[in-house]
Amino acid sequence: MVVQAVTGILNQVDGSSQFESKNTKVICSVTGPIEPKARQELPTRLALEVIVRPARGIPNTREKLIEDKLRAVLTPLIVSYKYPRQLCQITCQILEAGESEEEFSQRELSCCINAAFLALIDAGIALHSMVSSVCLCIAKDTDELVIDPGDDDLRVSRSVHTLALELVKGGSVIQNVLLLDSVGDFTEEQLFEILQNGEQSCVELTKELRRIISDKISEDIVRTHVA
Amino acid sequence: MSTIILPGDDIHVFEDRQISLGPGMYCNPATEEIEAVNAGVEVISETKKGQAVYVDYDCKRYVPSVGDLVIGIIVGQYSDNYKVSLSNFSSSVSLSYMAFPNATKKNKPTLKVGDLVYARVRFAEKELESEIECVDSTTGQDGGFGLLDGGMLAEIKLAYARSLMFDEKFPLLPLLAKFVQFEVAIGINGIIWIKCEEVKHTLACYRSILECQKVPTSSYKAIVKENFGKIVNTVEDDNQ
Amino acid sequence: MAKDIQISASESKFILEALRQNYRLDGRSFDQFRNVDISFGKEYGDVTVVMGGTKVQCRISSSITHPYEDRPFEGLFLISTESSPMAGPQFENGNNTGDEEVLCARIIEKAVRRSGALDIEGLCIVAGSKCWAIRADVHFLDCDGGFIDASCIAVMTALLHYKKPDITVLGDRITVHPVDEREPVSLGILHIPICVTFSFFNPQDTEENIKGDSNAEIAIIDATLREELLRDGTLTVTLNKNREVVQVSKAGGLPMDALSLMENCHKAYTIAEKTTDQILEELKKDEKKRNKYAEILSSENNRES
Repeated sequence: MVVQAVTGILNQVDGSSQFESKNTKVICSVTGPIEPKARQELPTRLALEVIVRPARGIPNTREKLIEDKLRAVLTPLIVSYKYPRQLCQITCQILEAGESEEEFSQRELSCCINAAFLALIDAGIALHSMVSSVCLCIAKDTDELVIDPGDDDLRVSRSVHTLALELVKGGSVIQNVLLLDSVGDFTEEQLFEILQNGEQSCVELTKELRRIISDKISEDIVRTHVA
Repeated sequence: MSTIILPGDDIHVFEDRQISLGPGMYCNPATEEIEAVNAGVEVISETKKGQAVYVDYDCKRYVPSVGDLVIGIIVGQYSDNYKVSLSNFSSSVSLSYMAFPNATKKNKPTLKVGDLVYARVRFAEKELESEIECVDSTTGQDGGFGLLDGGMLAEIKLAYARSLMFDEKFPLLPLLAKFVQFEVAIGINGIIWIKCEEVKHTLACYRSILECQKVPTSSYKAIVKENFGKIVNTVEDDNQ
Repeated sequence: MAKDIQISASESKFILEALRQNYRLDGRSFDQFRNVDISFGKEYGDVTVVMGGTKVQCRISSSITHPYEDRPFEGLFLISTESSPMAGPQFENGNNTGDEEVLCARIIEKAVRRSGALDIEGLCIVAGSKCWAIRADVHFLDCDGGFIDASCIAVMTALLHYKKPDITVLGDRITVHPVDEREPVSLGILHIPICVTFSFFNPQDTEENIKGDSNAEIAIIDATLREELLRDGTLTVTLNKNREVVQVSKAGGLPMDALSLMENCHKAYTIAEKTTDQILEELKKDEKKRNKYAEILSSENNRES
């Protein structure tokens, strides 16, 4: 899985990232903890305002569904009791969908999860662990498993899956499955196969994400280091 | 020892000793386990009782913590308090009329909305509104806090503010001092206030502070020189 | 806007004082436009414009629909400028009813759509029943002032860059040819309007400005966010390379006299001319990069000497 990512690209928000995988490109911004509006406030924990905006057209139910899944992944990840009665705004703008938007949203969702994680790290929001997400599909004719499918693969797929895993201890231990979202026809056996293979690519992706974050931190240390 | 640590990573402390937690560390109330929650450099130091551990990380948004010296903008008044903003869009903090030197019920401070104050965080609990004070509470005397009149402020990242404040060898302020005399106040909340006699000098300082944030310390000298060169024809005084 | 950015009294006083002494915070001169950086995405009609700390992306898309009943010979063209908290927490998601946002959307709409920059009659396929609908989605990514100017450049560059799929009409049957089957076609662009925004500051009191004849107000081009928050008035001039003024928008604020308006239009023209040339230049460069086969197909060979 080849990905490209940068963090800290926007000035007005607290944390930001741009994540690119194949033809899908997402930019994510995070602001928080800030003062919430009265209706958003939660008495004991951090409220999340998750916004996903499509590359073209106005946001509708499709984006709401992505927002909902993204929120489900991020909520257990954030140490929300550390920021009672505060708000965190997470905005994902899809720059390039990389899949036909009428039928699929899985690539966008997995990129949004990865971008949001990087942006949260950049913003300095407290997190319990790391997350990484991949998209997988099973081909219609051959029943073959494709990891990180492109638009062409998705078009000839029998089922499409998005997997997000929670990783701890340097990305070596998988703590939890945060999301396994499947669409289409598949068997139990195939689902286990997906989990197994997805796990592997998630671990690999985590290594890559760690490298991106570590590089950024080392760069900052070198910069402020007084010779 | 400097190791880069990310959320969920193992912490390199001895479990059997008493551990004090600093920023970036969190003790999960449910599992009673200590976890790293931010991405940065793990710093472990020996204390009298045991070990102290924290994560040195950089971000833009300030969360109040007791003892920090901060710069705030007065945004409102209510009963016997000022409402002060420490960073845009964050919850405001309160500054009591009594938290000034020689304050009495009748002797009220005369700050207006929009004024800048230099203050110390007196109380910070995550569930409650934080409080700041403009008096040195150990002596009850004026501790150099209060209104910052005139000048200009720049918003900077928190780690840069900490370097400017605590790192005695940090070269920026001495470099600026070679060109011009100035007053400066550094807020740990990522605001630096600077004031020179003339606007153009302040402006050169302002630009230098912002530009130096993005480059390694070795290039500070060139940047400061360029900014002053652009604006004034002050000759560098090497004797200082 | 949800909540405002707080600016301290010291800061506003300082910025004004610096302007009085002919300095701007970022070191530009008063009538200097920020450098415009234009980049293209993988697909046609995906343009990102960066001007200092301001970042705007524009995305063009097209579909086939019914034309309006009262305009059977015209296609549809829509510009959507929705702000989100990505540009800064001061923007609320899905709520674009703030004065600034409405004004910004209206000015862009007027500058591009109502000035007839896009040939909408050329979007007609079958009169009265089928036409192209072109949609421009403007995404504000980072806000450091000058949204109107940057968006206008982004929309125009994206429209020039976009290619819609080729079609064949046979009676009532329309065949849309996929991009890999037939070379897609560009949109008909009639002129390239460029917006230039001036911000005014009043160094004296209001009374002096209205009654006095000193005309001491300060005018700066392409204000940053801080300058925008402090300004006393604004003027947006939209014009094209043919020296046609498309719109002059000045909604309230500091009064100004006709002479300085003329002067500002002249200043705006030089910027518009330069920016237009830059847009065309960038488009040409991108076209060259994209069209690898042009060189192979061309009859000119690289001959070894």
